[in-house]
Amino acid sequence: MSRLYKGILITIAAGCSIFLNSCSLKSCFDVTESKVNTGFYSKETGKAVPPDSLTLFGMNMDTSKIYNKVLAPETVQFPLYASDTSVKFIIKINGIDDTLEFRYSSYIHLISKECGYTWYYTLDTALHSFNIIDSLSFSKKTITTLSEENMRIYY
Amino acid sequence: MRRICGYIISTLALLLFSSSFARSQDTLWVPLKVNVGLEVMGPVNYFINKDVLSVEGYVSVDRNEKLSYVLAAGYLDYKYSQYNYTYLNNGFFIRLGPDFNILKPKKSKGKYWGGIGFRYGLSHYQWEVPSLHQANYWGEASASIPARKEWGHFLEAAPGMRAEIFPHFSMGWTVSLRMLIHTNSTDDLKPIYFPGYGNAAKRFSTGFSYYIVWNIPYKKIRVITKKEEPEETDETDDMNSNQNRNSPDYRQQQSPSDNMR
Repeated sequence: MSRLYKGILITIAAGCSIFLNSCSLKSCFDVTESKVNTGFYSKETGKAVPPDSLTLFGMNMDTSKIYNKVLAPETVQFPLYASDTSVKFIIKINGIDDTLEFRYSSYIHLISKECGYTWYYTLDTALHSFNIIDSLSFSKKTITTLSEENMRIYY
Repeated sequence: MRRICGYIISTLALLLFSSSFARSQDTLWVPLKVNVGLEVMGPVNYFINKDVLSVEGYVSVDRNEKLSYVLAAGYLDYKYSQYNYTYLNNGFFIRLGPDFNILKPKKSKGKYWGGIGFRYGLSHYQWEVPSLHQANYWGEASASIPARKEWGHFLEAAPGMRAEIFPHFSMGWTVSLRMLIHTNSTDDLKPIYFPGYGNAAKRFSTGFSYYIVWNIPYKKIRVITKKEEPEETDETDDMNSNQNRNSPDYRQQQSPSDNMR
């Protein structure tokens, strides 16, 4: 009979720990914003070449910079806006300005109970000026919270 | 006619043998019951947190001292708010499957239950996200997900214990380990929580339930608690015969026939 009681106690302890664990409030540790992850490549060789310096901000938002003279960035992340279907950026690569416009559609996606819902995007097109940017290519047009390359800038 | 007589005689011999065999075993009368249970953690939690109302009950019928069939049903009204969204869900669920009592009848005595249950669960619910916000570089974006009705299917393993506290009344608990099989949501627009299952953002979820159960006995069965042990004399005879086989006398007895071969 003592074995039975031991079993009961062990099961109660296991049950309580699972219950308390399931009830505890958890914080969100995941990435909650979807951004266009972009790498820089040489137009001649096609190899990854970080620019010497980079500045990035939204059109008419030059007082609020996303990147400000960042040295040798390997990647940059372009934030999109769920309440709109296009956004325009000014990107300054090695001191030379170009404009870059993304056109996209958005949809809601569940991350987790703790982090809630966010927006994912499907890129339609990207338009740019040709001051220093030679061309763009897309590796993945679905923009999610995952850290995977979506776009390449050749310059 | 001969065949029929032979059949009757052999059946009678079998019955006589089996009845004498049963008499020599330890047996126990175990009551089989219809159990009606009410989950109490849900209503208790509701007094602490008014955002979650969960009501659940079940009916189980004992098939024998080890197996019973369970049908549970419940209702959930759920509200959840995080820093950037509000979520609402309400709906019904059923669970059905067997319960296995792993306690031996001598220990359980028809009063205690310790074992594991397996369930298939089906949930029908309506969920919505009335408000959802996200602020980033461009400003704040807002949206809502309108109410939608969906189905969820899941499997559950539920180990637990129950003990009789008063005649015909018992209390007990189960820990539920659930696996989501299917919902008719899309991959992106999924509910975060639904009735009977719990956190639907995950493929596995856990739960804890505490029950007050009304036990209604409907039948008693005789259960063999100790099987007849072979008589000692037979065993010793066997052992002796084995020993004889190895003894020189036995070999001697066998030798003439061996020689004949």
